[in-house]
Amino acid sequence: MSTPVLQLDNVTMRFGGVVALREAKISINPGEIFALIGPNGAGKTTVFNVVTGVYQPTEGQVLFNGTRIDGTKRFKITKLGIARTFQNIRLFHNMSALENVMVGADSHHKTGAIGATLNLPWHRKEEKRGRELARELLDFVGIPGRMTETAKNLPYGDQRRLEIARALATDPKLLLLDEPAAGMNPAEKEALQALIRKIRDSGRTVLLIEHDMSLVMGVSDRVAVLDFGQLIAEGLPHEVQTNPRVIEAYLGVSEDAS
Amino acid sequence: MKGNGVTGNANPLRRVGALVDGARDWWEHAKAWQRYLVYLGAVVFALILPAPAIGSFMSPGADWTSVLIYPIGTYILLAVGLNVVVGQAGLLDLGFVAFFAIGGYSVAYFGTQYGWNYWATVAFGIILAAVSGVILGAPTLRLRGDYLAIVTLGFGEIVRITANNTDEIGGARGITNVPHPTDIPGVVEFGLLPAPYYYLILIAIVLVIIFSVRLQKSRVGRAWAAIREDEDAAELMGVPTFKFKLLAFAIGAMIGGLAGGIYAGKAVFIEPNTFPFILSATILAAVVLGGAGNLPGVILGAFVIAWLPERFREVNWLKDVLDRDPAEYRILLFGGVLVLMMALRPEGLLPSRRRRAELHEGTGGMGTMGAEVAGPDTDVTTTEAAK
Repeated sequence: MSTPVLQLDNVTMRFGGVVALREAKISINPGEIFALIGPNGAGKTTVFNVVTGVYQPTEGQVLFNGTRIDGTKRFKITKLGIARTFQNIRLFHNMSALENVMVGADSHHKTGAIGATLNLPWHRKEEKRGRELARELLDFVGIPGRMTETAKNLPYGDQRRLEIARALATDPKLLLLDEPAAGMNPAEKEALQALIRKIRDSGRTVLLIEHDMSLVMGVSDRVAVLDFGQLIAEGLPHEVQTNPRVIEAYLGVSEDAS
Repeated sequence: MKGNGVTGNANPLRRVGALVDGARDWWEHAKAWQRYLVYLGAVVFALILPAPAIGSFMSPGADWTSVLIYPIGTYILLAVGLNVVVGQAGLLDLGFVAFFAIGGYSVAYFGTQYGWNYWATVAFGIILAAVSGVILGAPTLRLRGDYLAIVTLGFGEIVRITANNTDEIGGARGITNVPHPTDIPGVVEFGLLPAPYYYLILIAIVLVIIFSVRLQKSRVGRAWAAIREDEDAAELMGVPTFKFKLLAFAIGAMIGGLAGGIYAGKAVFIEPNTFPFILSATILAAVVLGGAGNLPGVILGAFVIAWLPERFREVNWLKDVLDRDPAEYRILLFGGVLVLMMALRPEGLLPSRRRRAELHEGTGGMGTMGAEVAGPDTDVTTTEAAK
């Protein structure tokens, strides 16, 4: 079998006495759409924060394409090929949509102050390439007409798409989407599902946190369920759906059943 | 927020604001040749600015060209430098005068003690300022908001006090007989006449503006803007935030150093008290008053801040009213005007659109410049910890 894109090896994350993640083991294969679900506060976003270097795991290792990345600086992890979106949208609100995406594209650019002040040829080339990439990506996520608009003036759904475009601009091998469907209407969710597939088909792996079950079941190849920081189930969507522990975690246990 | 108070019709500056917005729209859609025409106009204006006809109104009491060099030109240069740090990267620096001092002292010291060529001392001063910017920034730029402001404030004072206590560089007596800039044979002679210095500082300002604009439009400027808006998100999008903040400090410091070098070459005499804390505060006031992040605004702010106290030395009608020399009241008048301007245009005289939006939001903007205002999404670590 090929090396997993992402591997969480017994990762524990403690905040003082609170255990946000307990010995989590997750392994994601290249080209997969992998969904992470669970009730609120189950530790899903903690997984994202551990993977992207916001937190250092208390115990355990995070491997990306077989190399350890826990302890690596956040911007370096992005350069290695992991990008994310945020649960509560964190765009650069007062920059234009195009500029937002260009910031992502800049992660692979090298121009420094000297190249920029002297307007050197490679700087112009990078700018041009960055702008073209940003345009393509805005088109790719379905908001080509929004280029010059200020990010915060975009409708909510478009802001989510813009975040995805910004993340894609860093050319990630693994894209982490944190509740991308939150606040979207059914039609937008439909389009999002298609977009996620399109991202996978362009050769990227997707790790998805989502509460919308129809989206999760419709789009993911595999699903893992977290509850109170513990991985309680993992498998194909329909397997997970019928798993009694999962139903218990989501709905609680009826008194006469136990 | 504050902006709401400005919406009344009673505000005369409201119309000015509309005019500014109109001009800005025109500028954004202007063709290249139209823009170059404006640049050309600005340069021509700057060239004829020292004319006595203008001076007789602008500065009836003192030599207008000298006033144009110091404080006006020097303040503009410093403000453009500080704008890189405060306006573009959103880092509050309260000790900017330190870099001005370092530039000034290197010209004075190496010129008088070692007889170096003036231009070499200026270049060396710029490098020295950049290095001290990095030395100051490396340990402190991990701090945010208030803490950074306090540390930079301390740095400004340390430099001044060190100069005061170091006999090698003249101690409290300072350094006298600082050499004038080396003449460029056949082109210009730097002596006691102020005009050559005016054109020297004008060239420096134009160059610094060009560099600053280019930076702003590049990857570097985008990274700064991203840091200012959401440092954590920027880092997660692959921006090496620490490196870019350090770069902002270094570039700001270089411009400060350049200003110091030019100042020392004209002033002939510098001492520690040439570089008081109040100068840092004044330049910061110029940046904020003009509209942090927007170069034309910052330049206008620096001009106003530098010029008004000079102009208030000679207000003849006040002399008749008060029956006293108005020069005694000039700082009071100046303060009144500042309060008035901030009340009427809280975002600055010519704010950048982006900065104005940040101010109205109440998060980011001033928040990242000073106190960290806790916005709804300021911190991943606390809000998302339990998820």
